[in-house]
Amino acid sequence: MSHRDSIHQYITSLEKYLSRLNKSDSDEVIKEIESHIYDALELQEQNNESVDVQVILEGFGEPRTLAAHYVDHILQGTPPPKGFNAIQTVKKGVTQGLYYSTGFAGFSFALFLLAIAILKIFLSDDIGVWLAEHGNSVIITFHEHPHIGSKEILGHWIIPVTLILSAALSYLTYRLLQVLKHRL
Amino acid sequence: MNHQNEKWDVQLRKGSLELVILAALKSRKLYGLELLKLLHNFETMQITEGTLYPLLDRLKRDGQITANWIQEGENRPRKYYRLTEQGDQKLSALEARWRQSVSDIEYLLDHPGPKPVNPQGD
Repeated sequence: MSHRDSIHQYITSLEKYLSRLNKSDSDEVIKEIESHIYDALELQEQNNESVDVQVILEGFGEPRTLAAHYVDHILQGTPPPKGFNAIQTVKKGVTQGLYYSTGFAGFSFALFLLAIAILKIFLSDDIGVWLAEHGNSVIITFHEHPHIGSKEILGHWIIPVTLILSAALSYLTYRLLQVLKHRL
Repeated sequence: MNHQNEKWDVQLRKGSLELVILAALKSRKLYGLELLKLLHNFETMQITEGTLYPLLDRLKRDGQITANWIQEGENRPRKYYRLTEQGDQKLSALEARWRQSVSDIEYLLDHPGPKPVNPQGD
């Protein structure tokens, strides 16, 4: 890797870790460190030493550690970012009511979708999704005589579609409940 | 340098580095690399770039030093540091404490037992 590439890689990484600072603070740090690296390289050349950019970069340490030294004292006493407190409140506010109603809502809708799939097998003409005349509304119905002029879409494909949706919804509800359980 | 000496230097530097930087900048302006090279002339002050620059930034934010980008001739611009009045006062205060500590330690070293220690009446 050439000198420029090594320096560029180091500076890019440092920039990433300094991203919590204001742009002007971060730019100032980068500008000074870049200036030091090029000055130090020039000095090595002038003294007829072997030019070694790695030695200079090692002096600065890992970009992450170096950035942390700046971020620690610059952000000391700075209030937490906006919205941080709100997140805490939501986490704290999980009650048994929320936990059970989430589970009820999620699983009952999943069951409803499952029921559509099963009923479609036995009552294939009475249940399905129809597109209303002129195509300006979609009717999901459980009815003997769908609206005249409407056209059924999906047909028997509604069975795999509702089965997949039902399984996905059950899984998401289960995962959400796991998260909520920790906050109870 | 053996391991024990190195450990001692690190410990001592933790408490004294601020004084060292302020003393190095007393009545002169230096840029980072110059300051680093100056400190490397001394056996116990071999600090790294990664220690120096964040410390300079903190001292600047504390108002003890100021920094200015200066371009001289063909060189690329460099950020020069110098003491502020507050930094100068801080240096005087730290210097007094440092000299007091050194004289206290020297007294102890010069007065081993079994005689009782009596620094005031000496």
